[in-house]
Amino acid sequence: MTAPVPDQRSVRRWLSGLTRGNRHWIQGTVVAGTLAGVATIVQMGFLAKIVHLGVVEKEPASGLVPLFIGLIVAVIFRALAQGVQTHLAARCSEQVRHTARNQIHQHWRKSGPVILGQDSAGSLAREWIDHVDALHGYFARFLPQMVLSLIVPLLILILVFYLDWLAGIFLLLSAPLIPIFMALVGMGAEKLNQQHFEIISRLSGQFLDKVRGLTTLQLFGQTENAATVIQQRSDQYRRITLKTLRVAFLSSAVLEFFASVAIAVIAIYIGFGLLGYISYGPSPDLTLFSGLLILLLAPEFFQPLRTLSQHYHDRAEALGAGAEILARLSEESPRRPTRAACSQNGTQRTTNTIKLDAVSLAFRPEHSVLNKVSLDIAKGDIVALTGPSGGGKSTLLHLLAGFLVPDSGSIRIFGNPPGAAPFGWLGQGRFFVQGTWADNLRLTSPGVSDAVIEQALRIVGLGPLLDSRNEGIYSKVSEGGQGLSGGQARRLSLARIFVADYDLILLDEPTAGLDRESERIVLEALRELTRRGKTLIYSTHHQSLLALAKRHLVVRDGEVNDV
Amino acid sequence: MSELKPWLKLIFARPGRLLAGGLLLLAALLSGLGLLSLSGWFITETALVGILLAAGLPATINLYVPGSGIRFFAVSRTVSRYFERLYNHDTVLRLLTDIRVALFRKLAAAGRNQRHELSGAQWLSRLTNDVDALDTLYLRLIAPAALAALVTLLLFGLSALLFDLWIATLIAIILVAAFLVATLAVYLQTATLASRQSDQQEALRTAVIEHLEGFAEITAAGRTGQHGDWLLGQASEASAEQVKADSRMGWYQAGSHLLINLSAVFALWAGFELFHSGAISGPVLVLLPIALLGLAEVYGMLPEAFGKLGATRASAARLNRDCRNPDPGNNASTVVSLPEPLALSVHDLTIKHSDNAPLFTDFNLQVKVGERVGILGQSGSGKSSLADVFTGLLAPTQGAVSARPCAYLTQETVLFEDTLRANLLLGAPDASDAELWRTLEVVDLAERFSTEPDQLDTWLGSSGSRLSGGEARRVALARVLINPAPVLILDEPFTGVDATTRARIARQIDALLEGRTVISLAHGPEALPGTDRIIQVGG
Repeated sequence: MTAPVPDQRSVRRWLSGLTRGNRHWIQGTVVAGTLAGVATIVQMGFLAKIVHLGVVEKEPASGLVPLFIGLIVAVIFRALAQGVQTHLAARCSEQVRHTARNQIHQHWRKSGPVILGQDSAGSLAREWIDHVDALHGYFARFLPQMVLSLIVPLLILILVFYLDWLAGIFLLLSAPLIPIFMALVGMGAEKLNQQHFEIISRLSGQFLDKVRGLTTLQLFGQTENAATVIQQRSDQYRRITLKTLRVAFLSSAVLEFFASVAIAVIAIYIGFGLLGYISYGPSPDLTLFSGLLILLLAPEFFQPLRTLSQHYHDRAEALGAGAEILARLSEESPRRPTRAACSQNGTQRTTNTIKLDAVSLAFRPEHSVLNKVSLDIAKGDIVALTGPSGGGKSTLLHLLAGFLVPDSGSIRIFGNPPGAAPFGWLGQGRFFVQGTWADNLRLTSPGVSDAVIEQALRIVGLGPLLDSRNEGIYSKVSEGGQGLSGGQARRLSLARIFVADYDLILLDEPTAGLDRESERIVLEALRELTRRGKTLIYSTHHQSLLALAKRHLVVRDGEVNDV
Repeated sequence: MSELKPWLKLIFARPGRLLAGGLLLLAALLSGLGLLSLSGWFITETALVGILLAAGLPATINLYVPGSGIRFFAVSRTVSRYFERLYNHDTVLRLLTDIRVALFRKLAAAGRNQRHELSGAQWLSRLTNDVDALDTLYLRLIAPAALAALVTLLLFGLSALLFDLWIATLIAIILVAAFLVATLAVYLQTATLASRQSDQQEALRTAVIEHLEGFAEITAAGRTGQHGDWLLGQASEASAEQVKADSRMGWYQAGSHLLINLSAVFALWAGFELFHSGAISGPVLVLLPIALLGLAEVYGMLPEAFGKLGATRASAARLNRDCRNPDPGNNASTVVSLPEPLALSVHDLTIKHSDNAPLFTDFNLQVKVGERVGILGQSGSGKSSLADVFTGLLAPTQGAVSARPCAYLTQETVLFEDTLRANLLLGAPDASDAELWRTLEVVDLAERFSTEPDQLDTWLGSSGSRLSGGEARRVALARVLINPAPVLILDEPFTGVDATTRARIARQIDALLEGRTVISLAHGPEALPGTDRIIQVGG
């Protein structure tokens, strides 16, 4: 069901789109980082000046006090700017992640339960939590650092040119190399990260696969063999990984090499200049102050780039996670009207019928599930849908629920589009939340009284279970890690319908897979709902449920017919 | 820190490797410090000599030694950094293997009961994160912290040598403060936040999964908006905590950096006294502060690592809990010797899950060799727990169980991400291809796989994802059937298998298992293979 993997350009576009409302956080981070850079330059200036005055001019210590105070102020200011930088960076990432989560959730609502149900809840949750968190480093570290690695070296370069243009040229020579460095580091780091992540995730996958099946391995007495297999495969991967690392680390070694050599060259040039061995250009004007300052600034010139290369994996991680999120977001969602849109065109008169008019739906072009189905169901009717599996019973229910939208034709539920008003839904899956019985029922109907909740739970036969718990409806649904059986979970869902006052209740195979006791209770509860005058539409294979129905529809070969 | 002990023991099982990696890291750090401080010394020396020369005074300078020293450090910094990274990544990958294998063995030895409580996708994803946290413990935390301490000590020695002991002590005090700010203070200030974070994350994940599982019901009730807002709120709360932890970490990093800078300022100030009194030369005065400034890089990695230590400890604690050994002698079954005609004997059995009502009390059952027994029970009646007790996976609360060796088909279909052959061989490691095919025939899958290009080597995908539910079930069934154990316990053997295939397989099983004992459990008689007698349990 996943859409084709989006290319890197569109992922980057999506990532930068996320910053749109949060640009001031990034700008703030960059400003704080720049201020820290300026403070560093000032700090080194004071340091060099103090050394020059003290060592060359033999200034007494007392005369240096103002300079020392200036130095301390610069150092403190630098620390403050650094602190503010990390704080703003963290806030920026927080905002961005909130935006991304909101986008994904909007997409979920647009897709609806049927489309969402095609992926496991676990993997969707992973996207919403882990993948979004994987964007953190990109926004908090990489993005601001990318700007800083241009601004700070540029400031230093200007100052060094002012002090000694020849030394400036040494740095400048490496400056055009900076984009090359970045590309090199980038390519290396990217390849490294890809390889590394791939290997690590494959290893984790195999490890987890074995852990998942540990009981089975134990039953066959094969745990020791499995441990050996894990060890061998890990070792094999390690050898492969190291081969690529040997190359991948070279790119950062190049950066390291240039930085080291530039410092060495500058140190030796300045030394010879100070000795008066170089009579060319600005060298004769070098002093201990200017020479030392240039030396102290040289590592700071390369530091932002080195930091950037350390943060490169943040970028790779964000691109990887972003690609998966974007693939999800660009999945074609059915043209499902949002509830807001429904209420806008919900000006129709309220009627007492559910009306399907020439409704068609096909999942594949050549195979239509429903073909021009027209149908009227009166309010208060009890309709059983039967037919072969795959014949379209569930699809019809999904259409009535508004979870799917027909290719053509129209559906009106008591005059409104499907899903415009709340209704009862009982699917085949089990659904309850960790929490109390009351939490579970108030999830869909907040504000119902304790008495109503207790009554509903008794109607669905959960009374004895409730009585065995100490705190009644305020005891936890699953205690002692026991959970609920399939039948109990189904009945809990049914209780949710009882506490609400829905006109329409749709049920997909309400008794499938239940034991006889649960089946009997569910049937009795449905009978109670019919006594309350609710409209019930359900698919079923069970004779007892057919007997309950006032109307029996067969869904087969794209048609819906009364029996 | 006791929760880290077993893992540290594992990590330190490679002392030679850790030492070599640490020395390479040390070489890289010292080369960096050496390059800058030697350059500073050199520039000051040349400046002073240059002034003398300009004044026409005699002066000499040895250019060769410092020049080659600077070149050496420039090269050694690059080279040692490269090899350090390569070597230490190798170490991390080795540790990763060690930790996973050890963890796997521990989990295998741990009681199934607590694993069962935790099983499921959530636990597995948590397990991955927890293991990852331990994998990098050495490279992120142990090595940098140890080396930072060592380099600090070296600088203390250097200050004492070049300046004097009194100044060196004061510098050391400032540096120790910087070290503590970067490590202990960060840890103390973030530990609770960090350990809470993973619980929060866990709670959030549960909430999101519930939201998704109930999406249809919530949509029907028209409450996706409200519930989604609530979820976003939960997520925001979690990330607000993270922001708090991150910015605390940032402030402590800045603080530690500040102290390092102040130590350099102090060294310069104190050095001037010595310089004026003639105790040290100008170049030496410059060397020490520059070396101290270089410490910022050495300390730079620490705050982040210590900011995560709280989470790492929590991870280790969880892994230890997952691996704890089963409680011994929990009224465990007393194994009595099995009289000859019996294959399984259960006496006065009570099964109870923690505080819940007992599933069974005073349950008795005797199965003779060669007998076919069916056990019927509704969902939630505890059939599977009964089967778990028969096979020893679950210790009964009371009573005695004795059984001949069993092959057990669990209710859950478990296939491994491997080939069909590897999956089947788990049941009988020495089985020949012919035997494998014969068993596949029994479960009606021989035709299905003989048309596959890879035949027995067909890749089944993760959890057998390339098979339908019924096919996967039958592969699992075949794996049990091929096992030579005298007793077979089959829990819902035909889940997802249609009625015709089911009938055919049941007949073929009967023929295959001639003379062996079979106990099968199901929710209804139609889901059982052939039986001699049927027992109804529960309700």
